[in-house]
Parts: sequence; structure tokens; C-alpha cells
Amino acid sequence: MDLTSLSNPLVTLDQLSSSSSQLDGLSTELENSIRFGGVQLTEAAGVLLRLPQEVIAQAVVIFTRFYTGPEGGSFLINPVKDVSAASLYMIAKISAIPQTPRSVLNVYAYLSLTAPKSRMDAPSDRQRPDPESHYLTTGAYLAARTTLLQTEAMILRALSFITKVVVPHHLALTFLQTLGVLPSPPTSKSRALAGRTISHLNTGLFSPQLLYLTHQPTALAVAAIYVAAKEIGVNLPCSEWWEVFDVDREELGFLVVGLGSSRLWAEQESRKWVEGKCPLTVEEIMLEMERGREVQ
Amino acid sequence: MDAVDDPSNPKTAARTKRFLSRRINDIADSLISPSDVLQIERQTSQPKPARATYHTPHVMDKRHPSSFQQLEKLGEGTYATVFKGRNRQTGELVALKEIHLDSEEGTPSTAIREISLMKELKHENIVSLHDVIHTENKLMLVFEYMDKDLKKFMDSRGTGGALDFITIKSFMHQLLQGIAFCHNNRVLHRDLKPQNLLINNKGQLKLADFGLARAFGIPVNTFSNEVVTLWYRAPDVLLGSRTYNTSIDIWSAGCIMAEMYTGRPLFPGTTNEDQLQKIFRLMGTPSERSWPGISQFPEYKPNFHVYATQDLRLILHQIDQYGLDLLGKMLQLRPEMRVSANEALTHVWFRDLAQLRMQQQIQNQQQVQMQQQMMAGGYGVSAYQ
Repeated sequence: MDLTSLSNPLVTLDQLSSSSSQLDGLSTELENSIRFGGVQLTEAAGVLLRLPQEVIAQAVVIFTRFYTGPEGGSFLINPVKDVSAASLYMIAKISAIPQTPRSVLNVYAYLSLTAPKSRMDAPSDRQRPDPESHYLTTGAYLAARTTLLQTEAMILRALSFITKVVVPHHLALTFLQTLGVLPSPPTSKSRALAGRTISHLNTGLFSPQLLYLTHQPTALAVAAIYVAAKEIGVNLPCSEWWEVFDVDREELGFLVVGLGSSRLWAEQESRKWVEGKCPLTVEEIMLEMERGREVQ
Repeated sequence: MDAVDDPSNPKTAARTKRFLSRRINDIADSLISPSDVLQIERQTSQPKPARATYHTPHVMDKRHPSSFQQLEKLGEGTYATVFKGRNRQTGELVALKEIHLDSEEGTPSTAIREISLMKELKHENIVSLHDVIHTENKLMLVFEYMDKDLKKFMDSRGTGGALDFITIKSFMHQLLQGIAFCHNNRVLHRDLKPQNLLINNKGQLKLADFGLARAFGIPVNTFSNEVVTLWYRAPDVLLGSRTYNTSIDIWSAGCIMAEMYTGRPLFPGTTNEDQLQKIFRLMGTPSERSWPGISQFPEYKPNFHVYATQDLRLILHQIDQYGLDLLGKMLQLRPEMRVSANEALTHVWFRDLAQLRMQQQIQNQQQVQMQQQMMAGGYGVSAYQ
């Protein structure tokens, strides 16, 4: 089975070793935090728009690609919120469930009022702001739409219109079936295994190692299955089963560590910005950089 | 401990690998039909890029629209206007597809899909995208220049649109090669029609207009059923199927083949229902017996007028036995019965293609020579008189 059509363009070494944001004076640490905040914002907006996770994950990858490399966008020039909204809008547009600019912008207006921590919580836990406070007037909407469409054009240019993103979620489920660990009807263990595999793939989207930009979907799927099977305690075929999916031991090992640490990283980041907000606007980022210099 | 970590003996490993490979194919088969979609034959001329890069932001800004001289308008589509153009530096002719940018929705999804796909689909039977020029208020795609589309080519023949059998065979072979390449790369064209097939003076045929095309993966999502111009739309799509696959392009190719013989569209329906009726009148009305599951389609009506299957030869007088056989395999009502592009290319009808092409070439040369002799001999003749 040839899987070349299930592959993604990957970043080059040059694009990994430097970025526009770093050239603008941002520390790698703060850059990673801002990216984390941006991915979280994109996920939250996708959930509120009721988009399937496949589409949300594709938007997250587009968002991440845009800010990567010395010729990509910079967090100090291209506001996170605008790029996040345009990534989601553009990916939804070419999917089976396009969204109107109005729905996308309403969601981002709403999210700008909620604390980042509460974004991932269940709606019942959320302090709902007064609907009046995030209503976009016609004037504000038209201005926001112009920005949205301009940002979309900018992203398309920066990515050379290469908008194809293959996400590993479906692939992972197919692989689990192939490995014969998803019996019909499902058992509680097989359900847990499938769920855990998908969770790892979703957590991987937050990775500061840019796992989705450096590894092919097949490898991500295999690694997520490996980690999940270990955690749940499911026995997989004893031979080197990952080789069937064209993944070698070395890459698998790297990804297993990467996925494992993504989870720790996500937890750490969530804790880190518990008190203050993760800086996302250009002004907030500048202030944070200022503060960092003072601490030193 | 986890079985995963057990170093096992190579024999078991090989056996497991074989077992798993087989299972992958089984599962893939159940997800996508026809199964040959998965046996991808990459063109050897297209080495797989180990690591494609996506960041080339400055490449596209180098060229400005003014680097192309805009000549006459070639056509107007729903979302674009196409002009003939000339590269000011090299003098090369190009087709400039100017996309209307919508101030309310931004870059059209058709344009995003088309550019994204065309960057991957490089094949001699697919029109090639040279460049994309994206400015503040304009999006222009620069394609290689082709002389005519198949519709205009047929109209220009002065034979009521019908083509000679060598040209038909050559065009069909090229059309199927283009389709096979798309399908091998998991792309459905979804809008094949004579207007989207471009012809140049060298007798080459190339697929164009990938605005409706889309990539498909595992599993095949449900698609919109608003695709393909009515006349070339497959019966399963007309019946409301949303899980169609590569076979919809084969149906269109079959309709185009018949049209090349007669010069007229095979099924020129006016509405969805009329289109189905025109198809059934010729191909016979399907039933639960001939097409199990047909009554489950959203657009299925139990009171379809029942027609018997007609012989295609009654309409296509010039078609030979082999051609008829291939056409029959493409125009199967049931999508899973339709031949794949890869299979069609190996059909016996194409066996004498190389020979025919050579004969045609020799004939053309002889004609040119004869014309030259006539010209040269012209004086002699008149002098003799």
C-alpha cells in the first residue's frame, strides 16, 4: 500500500532552527507559550463552531505552519487572534462544512472576553459574559471581516496555497482495526484504547516540537497507538508491527517521547498562565517581553 | 510486560507483517471501492519528494500581473475569466485565469482547491500551472496555453462535430491517462466535460479546470452531490448518492467518448429527472434485481418509467466492436461495475493506437508533400493547357 497521498509537506531544518518571531526578539520560551495559547484559542473556536475535530486539527496545523521559519509570520507583527480566525475560516471553507465570516467573527469576539483557562471547560462551568458585551456591531463586523479576508490571503501567500493537511486521526482508527484490537461490538478496553489514541493525537497538536510539522501522519498515528496501548495495557502483535505501517523504530521512539512530553507541556503551560493571561495580542506580547527583561 | 516490546524471531515477524498487510488491504477495500485506487502506480517520472517545503512566500510575489501581456478573452466561467496572454520576457503564450475575488467571502474555495491540487498534479495530460499571481485585489493563475477546448475542436471540424476514429482513440487514451493519474493521486475531478478538456495543435489533450476537484482519503467523506454538469453526471450521483468515488469521472469519460462519435451530447437532460430518464431510455431502467440497494437512494422513485436496454450501436454507427465493449464498461449504471481508468487503459481497443498514430503521421506527411508538389507543378499544368 502506497501512502504518499496520505502525506504532508514537512518543514525543513532551516525553518525549524529559526523563526520570524525569534528574529523580532522573542525568546523561544515565550514563543512556545504564545503558540500554545494560539492553538488553544483555535481549538476553542472550532468547538464553539461545532466543527469536527479533523477540521479543527487541520486549522491548527495551518496556524502553526504560518508562524514557522524565518520567512513565516511573526507573533509581533501578525496578531494571533487574526491568524487563528483566518486559519479556521479558510480550512472550513474548503471542507464540507464552510462557515460564514459572521459566525467565525462572533465566536472570536466572544472568546476574547473569556479567560483562556475556562475555554476548555464544559459550558456549564463557564462564566458566560453578557451577550451585549461581545455583540459585533455592523461597523465592527465589516472592519473585522476585512481583516479576516486580508489575513486569509496573507496565509495563502505564505504557504504558497499548499493547504493540504492530512491529519492522522482516521488513519489511527484504521490502523487499530488492522491490528485487530477493535472488536465488534467494542469492549470497554477497546473503547478506552481508541479514545486514548485520539487524545494523544490531539495533545500532539500543542507540541512545542511541532510534531505535526516534522512527522508524517502515519508515524503520528503509530506512535499514538503505541503510547495508548501501553497506558491502557492492551497487547499488540509481538513483532515489530509498526514496520508494516512504514515507521521505523527510531522515529517511533522519538515520537513516543514527543507525545508523552506534549502532555506534560500542556499541563505545565495551563498552570503557568493561571494567574495572568497568556499574552496573545501584539501589545500584550511586548509588555511580557518588557517584564522578562526587567526580571533579568 | 507489554507484548509490544518483545523481540520476536524474524519468522514470526515476517508472518505477522504479511498478515497485517493483507488485513490493511481488506479493510481498505471495504472503505473504498474500487480497490485498485489503493494500488497506486506512481509515475516514474515523478520521484516522490522526500520533504516538500511549503514556505516559498517570495517566489510568488516576484511576478507582477504586468509581466504578462493580456490578449483576447478566451472564456468566462462562473468564478473566473480566462484570457490569452504572453510572457513579456520569453514571448511564451499562456492562459491567464483571473479569479473574481469576492469581497464578502475572500478567496474562493474553488481557487484554493484548484491551486493546491494543481501544484501536486504534474502530468502530460493535465494542464500545467506555471505561476500564481496574488495581489491586493487580484488572483491570477498562469497556465500553459492550449489552442482549443474539445467542444470548440469538434465544432471546428465541419463534420457536425463528429471526429475520425483515430483521433477519438488517441483522445480517449489521453483522457484516461489524465484521469488515471488523478485517481492514483486520490483526486476526483468531478467536472469532466468537453469544455474542460483542452487540445493543442500537436494533438495533445489535457484535463483542465480543477475548481470542483477534491482530494479523497480514507474513509471517503460524504460529498456534496452538486457536482458535474448535468449531461455528464453519473446515475448514482443523480440518484442522490453522497458516497461516490472515482467511478463518477469514468461515467463522464464514457459520455464524452460517445459524443466524439456523433458530435452530439449523449444524454442532454434538462433537469435531474429528465437526465435520469434520458439515461434509462438508452441503458435500461435499473431495478432492485439489476442494482441491489437502488431503492435506498434519496432520489429513487418506484414509478420510474421502465425502459429496456438499447444497443449503443443504434446511435453510434461508426463504433467498432472493441470500442463498443470499452464504452459499455464505462457506461455501467452501477458505479461498482464501472471499469477503472487503469483497467480501461489496458483495454484491447487501445492495442493498435501506436500503429494508427504512425499511419496518421505518414498520411499527414504525404498530404503535405502532395500539396507541395501540386503547388510546384501548378505552373506546369497551366502551361500544358
